Amino acid sequence: MTALVDVLLRAVVVLAGTALATFALLWHAPGDPALAIAVARYDAVVPPEVLDQIRAQAGLDAGFWSAFRHWITPILTGDFGSSSVSGRPVWPDLRDAIALTVPLALAGLAIGLVLSVPLAVFATRRPGGWLDRSTVAVASLGAAIPAYWLGLLLILLFAVHLGWLPAMGAQTAAHMILPALTLGLGVAASLMRILRSGLLEARGQPFLPALARRGVARNRIGRDHVAPHAAVPVVTVLGLELAFLLEGAVIVEVIFARPGLGSFLVQAISARDFPKVQAVVILTALLFVTVNLLIDLTYRLLDPRTGSRDA
Amino acid sequence: MRSVLMLTAVLGLLAVFGPSLAPHDPTAIDIPNRLAPPGGVYPLGTDAIGRCVLSRLLHGASWSLGLAFLVSVIGLIAGTLIGLVAAMGGRFVDWIVMRATDSFLAFPDLVAAVVIAGVLGAGTGSLVFALTVTGWMRYARVARGIGLSFGSRGHVIQARLAGLSPVAIARWHYLPALAPSLVVVWTGMLARAILGISALGFLGFGVQPPTPEWGTMLLDARVHLRSTPLLMIWPGLAIVATVLAINLAGDALRDSLSPQERSA
Repeated sequence: MTALVDVLLRAVVVLAGTALATFALLWHAPGDPALAIAVARYDAVVPPEVLDQIRAQAGLDAGFWSAFRHWITPILTGDFGSSSVSGRPVWPDLRDAIALTVPLALAGLAIGLVLSVPLAVFATRRPGGWLDRSTVAVASLGAAIPAYWLGLLLILLFAVHLGWLPAMGAQTAAHMILPALTLGLGVAASLMRILRSGLLEARGQPFLPALARRGVARNRIGRDHVAPHAAVPVVTVLGLELAFLLEGAVIVEVIFARPGLGSFLVQAISARDFPKVQAVVILTALLFVTVNLLIDLTYRLLDPRTGSRDA
Repeated sequence: MRSVLMLTAVLGLLAVFGPSLAPHDPTAIDIPNRLAPPGGVYPLGTDAIGRCVLSRLLHGASWSLGLAFLVSVIGLIAGTLIGLVAAMGGRFVDWIVMRATDSFLAFPDLVAAVVIAGVLGAGTGSLVFALTVTGWMRYARVARGIGLSFGSRGHVIQARLAGLSPVAIARWHYLPALAPSLVVVWTGMLARAILGISALGFLGFGVQPPTPEWGTMLLDARVHLRSTPLLMIWPGLAIVATVLAINLAGDALRDSLSPQERSA
């Protein structure tokens, strides 16, 4: 029980810290925030009195903490405010962007799992064999290839040379194949390394030969003794993969001109549209805190020893 | 250890002497010879405004590698100090420091770096700041983890009883024990820094043109993907080769330090 309280407390501290750090960053960003709001709202240079009025309205004149309160209060009720550039509410646009990114991330994760799990299982059947060594080599190479280069290479091959697939935009389902493949190959490379070492460790447990000699079928040993042991690192990695997927989505969406969350964030930063940037950061933090909480709880289910160990 | 030293030496030499090997000025514009194929005066051809690609790659090496060194070493120092404070400062300090570390770790670091570098305004200073702020946590975790297991050892307790200051204990007892693991983390973070610098460059939030940098070269090359695909092959190869070399050296180092955790 105290462990659960500790986990929840951590989640709250992380969220509060992220909100504070984000606000502090934007507070210290170059440029006058009141001027930015004025230009966005009236599209003109305004007299100093109006700037003072805006400052009073947004709580900017009473110092950092007052401005922070003005900013955080509506967010706590789920109101992300309006874009400082277009004046439109942030949430509907953000929702549309998320609706494009989630399927991409899921497709990338699916491709990564489909490629890496069978390969890792077959490769570790004979550690040091040709299949094992070549998967390690490919995975090392994959870890060194950045998504922005892989994406360009895939466009070059499948869109420019072969002309099989569309490269830019998000109009049809076919538009998702190349971005998802870019993400999925990166996921596969990182999953492969961790799955492999997890499986090797699970297969090296000293009681497995004893079970085999007692006549327990190979499949049953795999299902009942190897798989649960190898599941712990996989759960950890799925948490890390989520971070990877989100980072990858930022880059991949920019390469493939796909108007998802990544493009939303990059455009918001370039336009200095801070309400949009803040909304993305807060949502990302919320997503990661939730996932880390779930991972923490899953650990406790998979490995009863975890509770007593300090993370 | 030897492989990392060798690699550091080679990359260091490339960063320092790479620019002087360049056949041309990396910012010299030669419009009549724009998008030239490799060969002749320009060994790897020219880009969209006729700048020598090889010269830009060599100068880019000193930018990418130099900045990655800077970022990863600042992170190493800051992270180690933070981790040692957590390990030696008692339970309450430890809790606070580790929750702060968790906050930073909970957020995808490239997204954080993009936000920080973008909001502060594109430029080399923002880039270094953004990658350092998002790159110290792993060192802190390792330093704190080893430090905690170390605090109850006999010679550390004796040193404390003998009246040695915490700084002296950290310097003479903790640091030598931490150094090997920290060097392994450092190789990983060096590779990440190179990927991060070029990713920010590719998104337009990193080193600003006309400074040659591998990520911004990829960004420029993207427009000419159909007509001159070779233009985006070179900087990509440079990034992959560098990161791969660093990762392999790091793996070799880790294996030599802990043979029981051998990965390949």
